[in-house]
Amino acid sequence: MIKTDKNIMRGFLVLTYVFIISMLIFLVSSAFGYLNTGADRSHMLHTEVKKEQIYLPKMTWINDGNKGRKLDTQTLTQIENDYLNAWYIRHVAYKTNQTVGIDDYYTENARKNILEYVAQNEEQKITIHTTTLSHEPNIEFFSEDGQLVVLKDTNVIAYKQVYQNETFVTETTEIANYTVILLLEDGFWRIRHLVKDSVETLQNTTQTKKIASVNLQGINYYPQATPWDMYGDNFDLKSIQNDFEIIKKAGLNTIRIFIPYEDFGKANVQSSKLEKLQKVLDAAEEKQLKVIATLFDFYGDYRILDWTLTQRHAEMIVTTFKNHKALFAWDIKNEPNLDFKTRGKQNVIAWLESMISLVKSIDNKHLLTIGWSNMESAHLLQNTVDFVSFHYYDAPADFSQQYAQLKLKVTDKPIVLGEFGQSSYGGFWKPFVGSEKKQAAYFTEMLQILEAEDMSYLVWTLYDFEDIPSKVVGKRPWRTNPQKKFGIIDNKGNKKKAFECIAQ
Amino acid sequence: MMKLNYFLYGLLWCISSSTNNISVINNDSIRLKTEQQNFTAGTTIVLTFSGSEDASIRLYCSNSYGTTLLNPKVTTNELQYILPAHISNKAGVVQWKLLNNASSLSGIVHIVPQEQPVSLETYVGPPSIEAGKTDYTMLVTIPTDTFDNPLPENTKVTLRRQFLSSEQQDTIKTSNLIAYQNMYAPIKSGRMLLATECLNLNSKEYTVEIMPAIATDFEIFSKRSHEYADGNQLTTFTTSILKDKYGNTVSDGTYVEFIIKNAHGNLLKTVGMTIDGVATAQMMHPDHEETWKIKAYVTGISESNTLSLTYKQVVKDFTVSFSKNNRNIEVGPLQSFMKQHIPDGLQVMLHISQNGNVVKSDLKESRNGFVNFELNPNVISNGKYVIHITAAGITKIFKEIQL
Repeated sequence: MIKTDKNIMRGFLVLTYVFIISMLIFLVSSAFGYLNTGADRSHMLHTEVKKEQIYLPKMTWINDGNKGRKLDTQTLTQIENDYLNAWYIRHVAYKTNQTVGIDDYYTENARKNILEYVAQNEEQKITIHTTTLSHEPNIEFFSEDGQLVVLKDTNVIAYKQVYQNETFVTETTEIANYTVILLLEDGFWRIRHLVKDSVETLQNTTQTKKIASVNLQGINYYPQATPWDMYGDNFDLKSIQNDFEIIKKAGLNTIRIFIPYEDFGKANVQSSKLEKLQKVLDAAEEKQLKVIATLFDFYGDYRILDWTLTQRHAEMIVTTFKNHKALFAWDIKNEPNLDFKTRGKQNVIAWLESMISLVKSIDNKHLLTIGWSNMESAHLLQNTVDFVSFHYYDAPADFSQQYAQLKLKVTDKPIVLGEFGQSSYGGFWKPFVGSEKKQAAYFTEMLQILEAEDMSYLVWTLYDFEDIPSKVVGKRPWRTNPQKKFGIIDNKGNKKKAFECIAQ
Repeated sequence: MMKLNYFLYGLLWCISSSTNNISVINNDSIRLKTEQQNFTAGTTIVLTFSGSEDASIRLYCSNSYGTTLLNPKVTTNELQYILPAHISNKAGVVQWKLLNNASSLSGIVHIVPQEQPVSLETYVGPPSIEAGKTDYTMLVTIPTDTFDNPLPENTKVTLRRQFLSSEQQDTIKTSNLIAYQNMYAPIKSGRMLLATECLNLNSKEYTVEIMPAIATDFEIFSKRSHEYADGNQLTTFTTSILKDKYGNTVSDGTYVEFIIKNAHGNLLKTVGMTIDGVATAQMMHPDHEETWKIKAYVTGISESNTLSLTYKQVVKDFTVSFSKNNRNIEVGPLQSFMKQHIPDGLQVMLHISQNGNVVKSDLKESRNGFVNFELNPNVISNGKYVIHITAAGITKIFKEIQL
């Protein structure tokens, strides 16, 4: 008994001791842990600088070896990152006339040159909006201790807009060669010397195709169930194939589809989206439908510093599908003139021009156009597109007059009516405005005019839709409800009166 | 494929005619008066245009680091644009464009660095290299002028080096803004001093350590005060002077491991680091008769000969006496080779077993030649036990001990 009691007593004491000690260790370690926060050594070495992709000019490394130490891929990647950051930071500095981040990417002696510029431009209220579109760097020398790199950056294509007192002054595209010395300091590859060896101004002389006519009778296409979200989770190839069958049977030969910029993954285009687009194009090829692919749907940034991201996006898509047999033309952007007011005509036009050059450089086989929203803007950039296209939703009676005006401006390019149509909505929000009959009458009249003008056209659209995403026309019911009823087939799959007018 | 695309892209951006020379595509009377196109950094650069007095015409101006707009100084029928110092001081190409509506005058100005350097930015690395003809260090120098412009291509830089009794001088030329030279290590260790000179401007002194190469095989020796296995004295092991293949004494701190194999094939290890090429390590004598085979290694690099050492038994026998109902066991006196009490610390092991199972083990060290074991009745209940006592490699067994 005594032995047992003793053992219980012992056990109790031991457990109490263990408990107290563990509490003490816990308290001391939490206090110690608290005092250690924020003193992580990795911060000092910049081993995990978090980075979002904001600047992706085309980098083509010329790997012909260098005179110094052999360069490994990891170091090369670090050099590329820091070198591009240096360019980006400098672009931002000249845009804002502030010097945030300059210290990180330029050595003490080199940064003086930038600070002097910023000071002068600040004083005279000059801002430079600029980006570089491509670099062809070549490492000339890497020192034995791994701290110094000399590189020649050739064919650096830079686009610049110069503003003074917030007024646009001039724009220019230049191609230049640089010699650069970078030093490894505090974990950053910093620019020590930057010498421009040569520079030339580039004139944009995009070669367009001379074509007499295009002969399109087509339709703008979204699936009934997933309008404006064609490549999402509810992607249904079966229904798309059925729709193409309907379109083909209606005697139409073309569809116009949309490739949303953000949905496809911006600069890093997702392969899953490309696969879906591939299936759509394959289905179109099966039915011998020509496809006009509209890039950059819902893109609206146009900032010069955003250009490189959009270029990587277009590059990926155009490269992937440039040999697809169903493809007929690239529509660079749907209704870009609607962004003139908010984003600046200067910016939008410059972006379009640069994008056309890029797309043409990758795919010189297919035609290229811009889907302007009205006839007033349709003549813009006509020298860079292969055919002109615009959209028309006004009264049929006014069409011929406006079109005559446009033809005076556009003399040597085919003109395509990229979108036209009328809503059959006549419900609560717009009583008695539209009906299926009126819609059919509209199409009859329009098609007569188009035949008289011998014009190619694409109807808006195949189906009535149940939901219109708010990003299309906003949330107001008097806008969304008419938008739902533009189809020539209603949302139950019944052909509306207009269908017979379109079908030949 | 992507490269080809890019090439096409380049072609499409067709190059304009106004490139190397000042273009004259003007429709009105404004003309460039300045004929000079090449300037030295630091000179005042004025671009003068005749044919206008319109002060609102700005000049677009862009160099290596940035872009700006300049306003003119108007004189009689002339516009003068003075390039600011941060443009006229920097070597490279300056592009300009006159921003008037009618004409499109544009051109470039070449600015070359000054000829006289004021700074020799020099980088030497790695700072220490291994003697022999394979390892090398590199010196990179960037001679710059007073405005921090790297000097032109093919500028001569003299590189001087001193090592032991030799002094050497080489001439290198700048290329891609820098001049560099690889310097292979001599076969002797020591300190190399470097200096550069460019157009009478001398750099400071740079040093490169030539470290000895790796050690070659070596010999070991031992020293002990007696040959008895008393478990107390130390045997000291030393190496010969460790040298590399060129005869340089290896660097201080070279880590030498001494591996000792005893008669049972067990391994003991002791280590030492070299000072002036000699590493020293010690090991306590065994407490029983033993033969050691010792070999030293610089791990992965070199090894020594094998030494053999024999230790003689010192404790020939010992007495074990039981008292207090056999619960007190006294071992001793433990006597060494001159019958002196063995120095404190000889280990004595006790095992108590019953029916072949060990009930209790205890290990004690000797004090004044004796060891006492007290057997606690709370731990070991009464009964018959077998007791083993081991000391200095000798085991004594007591059977049927009644506790």
